[in-house]
Amino acid sequence: MKCVSILILIIFILSCQTLPLINPSVFVINENASTCPFPFLEGKYRLIHSIENRMFGETQSVIIGVTLIDSSTRRVSCAIITAEGMVLFEAESGPDTLKVNRALPPFDSEDFAKNVIEDIKLIFFAPEGRLHEKGTLADSTMICRYQEENGDWIDVIDDKLKGIAVKRYSPNGILKRQIKFKKIAGDTYQNIELQAYETFNYSLLMNLIEAQKVEKNFPRAKHSRETKK
Amino acid sequence: MKIHRTLYSPVIIAGIFLVMVSLSHAGTGDFEKLRKESANIKTIQSSFTQKKTMKILSKPLVSEGRFYYAAPDSLRWEYLKPLRSIVITHKNNTKRYMASGGKMVEDKTGGTQAMKIVLDEVTSWMKGKFDQNPSFKATFHEGTNIRIILTPTEKSMAGMIEKIEIILSPKTSIVKSVKITESANNFTQIDFNNVEINKAINPSVFQDVE
Repeated sequence: MKCVSILILIIFILSCQTLPLINPSVFVINENASTCPFPFLEGKYRLIHSIENRMFGETQSVIIGVTLIDSSTRRVSCAIITAEGMVLFEAESGPDTLKVNRALPPFDSEDFAKNVIEDIKLIFFAPEGRLHEKGTLADSTMICRYQEENGDWIDVIDDKLKGIAVKRYSPNGILKRQIKFKKIAGDTYQNIELQAYETFNYSLLMNLIEAQKVEKNFPRAKHSRETKK
Repeated sequence: MKIHRTLYSPVIIAGIFLVMVSLSHAGTGDFEKLRKESANIKTIQSSFTQKKTMKILSKPLVSEGRFYYAAPDSLRWEYLKPLRSIVITHKNNTKRYMASGGKMVEDKTGGTQAMKIVLDEVTSWMKGKFDQNPSFKATFHEGTNIRIILTPTEKSMAGMIEKIEIILSPKTSIVKSVKITESANNFTQIDFNNVEINKAINPSVFQDVE
């Protein structure tokens, strides 16, 4: 029995991806990040994607995601809509607040709202944390590693063949999210794949339906559930 | 009755559409006449344009699709763009499909069974039992067009849908549009066009996904 437990533990540990070693071509605390890969949006944009949710290797559902983002204020508004037009979830987030304007089951948990906003920020916004390390991985791809205030690690990797990837690790180095930008016809956000490593792993395949540059300020809902993050 | 809420929208629209085609002939509150006239409808097919309006959108999100119905209980509600999806109910069996990787795959979210419950309600509407549905209160308004307003009677539904408005053409007495209001700034407008009643529909429409 003890052997089985140890075996399970070893398999579990091996199945978790951890922070890869960086060959530090440069290593300085206050390194300028200007030469780092930068797949992130700058300015205000409204993006509409079809989002395919995959779990256990199969497509579970396909929905429409609307994202309104402002990189300068790091404000995010988002909505999840069915093909039939039913709004399942709508929320907005500022630097310190999270407002859920509408959330139908199974999207009505506070964790879901928090995770959605964090995923959107991970995809579209540059890391807020400091640049910790810059260099190359074992396969010579360029990498910049940031550490967030909460201790999470964010790797931004530029693979000339596979495109740019963003990975978020927990403070103890366990991979939590992986985002791949599959550049098609020059548009970084045409095809995005988010892989989430949770109790049950899942992935989201996002295909761009429409992108608009936004000039006006963000709309704000009057009636909503607001929580301090 | 707990129903998978994400599936409400198309089914309600479809059900209302079906009911209203016959309701339009019935006149205000004449549910007995409605029930009789419903029996004359064998098939309905139509194109539709759906415009979703929300505060987060600067302009409506436009979807297009096709709708088919054959008595007594076959239904196909198909979106062609921007996101292809199909709901088919046939011989007491309901399935939902979505486009994935260039092919149509079955919805695995477990909502299909719930959809069957909704479709059973729709079927009762189709039979003219509109006044027997406790979920909605119906009011009739006659003007340039005939307008029917449905308001939910149950609290659980009220949090999801504020009201549903159905506009009927006064000349042809055929449904022109359906507007589902979820909240003040959030509504779905569906305009039907090229509506054909009792025209033969190939049975494969209710069996084949592609």
